[in-house]
Amino acid sequence: MLKHDGFDVVLANNGLEALDVYKKEKPDLVLLDVVMPYLDGYETAPLLKELAGEVYLPVIFITALEDQDSLTRCLDVGGDDFLSKPFERVILHAKIKAHARIRDLSQKAFEQKKQLDFYRLKTEREHQIVEHIFQRAFEGNYKAPHLLDFHLSPASMFNGDIMLVELGPTGNLYIMMGDFTGHGLAAAVGTLPVSSNFYSMVQKGLSVGDIAIQINDILLKLLPDDMFCAASIIELNHTGKSLSVWSGGTPDMYLIDNQNDQFTTIESQHMALGILEQDEFDAASMNYSVAKQEQLIVFTDGLVEIMDENGEMFGYERLTELLKQPHYQEIPNIIDELNYFSGGVEQDDDISILSLRCDEVNSNLDQNQYSYSKLPHSFSLTVDAEAIRTSDPVLEVIDMVTLMKGAEEHRSTLYLLLSEAYNNALEHGLLELSSSIKDSDDGFIDYYAQRDDLLNKLTSGHITIEVNYVPEQTSLYFTVTDSGTGFNVDAKKSELDNEDAHGRGFILLQEIASSVEYNAIGNQVKIGYQLNVS
Amino acid sequence: MSLKTSTSADGQTVTIEVKGKFDFNFVQDFRSAYSAIEGSIDTIIVDLRETEYMDSSALGMLLNMQKTLSGRVNNIKISNCKPQIKKILQISRFDKKFDID
Repeated sequence: MLKHDGFDVVLANNGLEALDVYKKEKPDLVLLDVVMPYLDGYETAPLLKELAGEVYLPVIFITALEDQDSLTRCLDVGGDDFLSKPFERVILHAKIKAHARIRDLSQKAFEQKKQLDFYRLKTEREHQIVEHIFQRAFEGNYKAPHLLDFHLSPASMFNGDIMLVELGPTGNLYIMMGDFTGHGLAAAVGTLPVSSNFYSMVQKGLSVGDIAIQINDILLKLLPDDMFCAASIIELNHTGKSLSVWSGGTPDMYLIDNQNDQFTTIESQHMALGILEQDEFDAASMNYSVAKQEQLIVFTDGLVEIMDENGEMFGYERLTELLKQPHYQEIPNIIDELNYFSGGVEQDDDISILSLRCDEVNSNLDQNQYSYSKLPHSFSLTVDAEAIRTSDPVLEVIDMVTLMKGAEEHRSTLYLLLSEAYNNALEHGLLELSSSIKDSDDGFIDYYAQRDDLLNKLTSGHITIEVNYVPEQTSLYFTVTDSGTGFNVDAKKSELDNEDAHGRGFILLQEIASSVEYNAIGNQVKIGYQLNVS
Repeated sequence: MSLKTSTSADGQTVTIEVKGKFDFNFVQDFRSAYSAIEGSIDTIIVDLRETEYMDSSALGMLLNMQKTLSGRVNNIKISNCKPQIKKILQISRFDKKFDID
């Protein structure tokens, strides 16, 4: 009958067979008799359901039994419907169709669930990868732990707040605390480029204003228009005596001095990073002279916006009242108080707070042991009037010299030595300028104006620079000879012994160089400098 | 190589930043940087964080500044010197006349 109606039909003669057939054929619907040998319908139905798994397999009992108990039992054991014999063909049809529709829906739901599971797993995996990257990027190797105390509490797995701490080349301590719009992963993505750029700029020792300019630039390029980063960039001088601060879009900071009972509020000066175009951006910073007993408190707005169960915010007033008491100037105590206030209400923004004690940074910058070249380098060059007018031989020579092993660390000092010798040769030997010009009121300016003037007119003469490195002494020698007439060395020396404004170069040479020798006629000076003594 | 002057938000601190070589090429610029200051202010910071080189003419410029501004500025600081630059300032006894950190 069913075959005739276009269904594919497979038959089983009893319950056991039915299970086998089910496994082989995977039918979409099962019509089941109650009374069967080996395994009856009541026993077969639950086993079939189990085999069908998560997708709905309609099981319809077809039975001659008519009593209410038997029929109820059909449904109790997992049957979905029943039909008592004898039945109308149309009724069977209608039932099959109705259950087929449900099976269809169930199949679709099952497919969707499979897809969802797949996406969920994929997302979880992606989160793990990103989490790993973030952990690596911010792995808390925080510098100067003796000065810092902080508490970071993201609202979700990823933190849209950022706290970076790094030491500059001269031992200054830099801190950046930022708060990206929103929270979670979307807010946290911005922290990656910011951190890597912050670290590289700190390593160059840039000022807080310049760092702000650069980070603003990066964020302007990267972030969508409605996303930005409120931030404070702070630099504590290595002496711990001065503080400079650039801040944009952030809550107030507090500078607390218990000894002198001072509580200074530092208001944010600018707009947040990532909003203004380069030409509108203001890099002006605030500078403070600070002392040992002072501490700076910096936090993100999640702290003051935390709510209690009635929806009331913690607010600035409560915070400043607390911070005026020494007990609450300890970060853990503030956090305890916050938790007490919120009474366990879940935070919906990232919360960060840090305290910086203004004391010596004491960074123990690496005092590297340098090794020095063992080769006797030497070279010389002679510059003529034309080259003197148009180039800066001192810097080029120093660039060459510092390529030598162990010399780079002395770059500024070597520059100073050669520059003094070269400028003396040029200004006094070739241009025949007199230092006494510098004595008058505007002398300094006049002197260099005249220098400029005479230099432009220079058509003859030359200067020779000779560089020798003596590895046994780890010493460098600069010999600078000019084509001028020289000067009376002894007279010059006694003149220069008076510490006046223009003899300074001469005194510097004497102090820094290991030796300074003039030739008899005074047109040649030989300066020695020892690399392994600093 | 450049010279940049900025005033703090409260107008009390003027920062002069010299990048690269601090030498006689800045004689004019350096003088205009501080002679533009009107009235009296609290602090001048000569920020040498990006100064790689300096010579004796730079020392002269610093002294001239101090002479010109004496009485109008509470404090002249020379800040963020690299170790070698700091040594040059110390050898020249500048630590007696300036606040060097």
